[in-house]
Amino acid sequence: MQHSSFARRARALVAAVLVAAAPAAFAQGSIRIGIITDRVGPAKPYAEPVTQGAEFAVRELNAKGGLLGRKVELLIEDDQGKPDVSATAARKLVDAGAAFILSLSLTPATQQAQTVSLETRVPHMTPSNSGDTLTTQISNPNFWQTGPLGSTQIATLLSYARSKNYKRVALVTDNSDLGQLINRFFKAGLEKSGIQIAAEEVVPRGATTAEPQMQKVRAANPDALFMTGVLTPENTLVLRAYRQLGLKAPILANYNLSVPQYTSVAKGLLDGVTFVDAFDPAKPEVRRFVEAYRKDTGSDPWNLHGYGYDGILLVADAIRRAGGTDRDKVREAMQATRNFVGVMGAQGSSYGFADGRRTGFDTNGMVVRVYERDVQGKVVHVGQK
Amino acid sequence: MRDFLELAVSATASGCVYALVALAYLVMTRPTGIINFAVGEWAAVAAFGGFLTLTHAEWPYAAGIAAVTAAMFAVGWATERLTVRPLVERGAPVLAPILALLGMLVVFRELISVGFGPDPRPLPQAFGFGRLEIGLVAGSYQSFFTIGVVLGLFALTWWFFERTLAGRAFEAVAIDRRAAALMGIDLSRVTALSFAGGAAIAGVAGLLVAPNTSAHYMMGLPLAVQGFTALVIGGVGRVEGALVGGLILAFAEQLTVRYAPVPPGLAMGVPLVLLILFLLVRPTGLLAAREARA
Repeated sequence: MQHSSFARRARALVAAVLVAAAPAAFAQGSIRIGIITDRVGPAKPYAEPVTQGAEFAVRELNAKGGLLGRKVELLIEDDQGKPDVSATAARKLVDAGAAFILSLSLTPATQQAQTVSLETRVPHMTPSNSGDTLTTQISNPNFWQTGPLGSTQIATLLSYARSKNYKRVALVTDNSDLGQLINRFFKAGLEKSGIQIAAEEVVPRGATTAEPQMQKVRAANPDALFMTGVLTPENTLVLRAYRQLGLKAPILANYNLSVPQYTSVAKGLLDGVTFVDAFDPAKPEVRRFVEAYRKDTGSDPWNLHGYGYDGILLVADAIRRAGGTDRDKVREAMQATRNFVGVMGAQGSSYGFADGRRTGFDTNGMVVRVYERDVQGKVVHVGQK
Repeated sequence: MRDFLELAVSATASGCVYALVALAYLVMTRPTGIINFAVGEWAAVAAFGGFLTLTHAEWPYAAGIAAVTAAMFAVGWATERLTVRPLVERGAPVLAPILALLGMLVVFRELISVGFGPDPRPLPQAFGFGRLEIGLVAGSYQSFFTIGVVLGLFALTWWFFERTLAGRAFEAVAIDRRAAALMGIDLSRVTALSFAGGAAIAGVAGLLVAPNTSAHYMMGLPLAVQGFTALVIGGVGRVEGALVGGLILAFAEQLTVRYAPVPPGLAMGVPLVLLILFLLVRPTGLLAAREARA
């Protein structure tokens, strides 16, 4: 035990010496990548792990000699999930010399930050936002989105539901903006598929129980239950009431149930819950990432860390191909990205912006997984086939 | 019938939590006239205290609850000393401490956010996850536990106010602050004790609800709103009012969701409608305060 402790300290000392020596090894000034995250607002639970994944990617890049021989430096701004603050943060990052901006906050905040990248032509990307309208509402050639779109998540889960031949389903959501939006998309998709909505319930933020809502679901006797809310405490109430009231209909959940914090707050309630995810634990890139992250930080990464990690590597790849940080060249290089295999996405899927599109996640890159007891288990369905 | 009785247990448990938050308001408002909206954040602080003692340190349930409740008593006392008393001593208008306490609401929430991060934290249920059935009446162990604890606390509070000298001093200050001071009652002590007691009561509410919802940094405000609505319904005059208000609010909420033919989103407006109705029609709440006797 003592030996291992000494070895750990020795390794830490060597690493510290190497880090201290590192700046001398980089030829020119650093390449600055700006990040707009949410440290205190409603997106904080999601934005923080994504940011940590990005920070890890930068540490890994610098440990391997940086980018084009230059050190990569992260400039991090907090927009509190507020659109007005987000635009100011983007302006600040541009003024600080950011060669690229990554938005990791809420979709509306990212939308607002685009006003700055549109005007200044600084390349800008979100690796984690899922809003479908980010690349359609503003014609901004300097902006890309590589997180799986909400519509892709929904289509993947609906594809799984069709494969199970469900006829009547119930929808349970919360009253958050995103929960309502996802619920609307699910409802439209289900109706389009000819699947009847037997019950539709809302568990409001701050509720102390979901039993009345789940009693109605039980009375409707659906073939399956879709959880479309994004608030973890309220989703936990739904799961608790589901077990408490003895419901048996299978649960199909949106990507929020892929956040590993459920394994602690909903412990004992998750067995058999299927959920849509963009993280396939059997993928070789994921296994390498998990191992490297664990070695670097001492803790296991979530799927959300992978979004930030992929975001930085996509940006680094574009800058490398552009041969520098010239905005036009980086923009062209990013748009030319094809077949980039990252951590996120099913096996065999890749990022790319073919045909002028600026959404880069493979539409068949999402997976449906199932909880086995309290552990996020195997992939049971891939893509929209 | 089975559905209704199941729902009655669930609504009673939720109503008991609302009632406890309303009682926390009442204990402070009656003698001081100060409405402290930070009660919800106190509940959140206690919930995280429960996470530390019960989940993280794995203390025995009773010991963890007792320790957190005692700590909350100290938090309430300190809050009064640091934010309310300096303003009262300087003769500030009654709105000043209310605003200062709103500031404390933000301070408590951000302290939780910085200290524990954004992730919800689990708390164990008192008797584990399970369902108790007594004939047609059925509910979770935690629901029955919550109902039992809250009814016990209300009985204790009623006894304190009605049967003890210290409680009578509170009531005297509530009826006529100046006359109570002239009779030798230490107003500053009553104020400090009311905040300490309010924080302890709010803390118990947080400890009872968090095993279901988890402890998270955004849990305070909804509890503060639900408790305030229950207080308005029941009235600030009597301890029983808080309990009645909490139960009416929870039954109205849950019966509407379950049985009213309204779209699911609209059922969420029930507390707001009740709040407006009572403020317009019966602003003193259902149970009026006891009048001073000649």
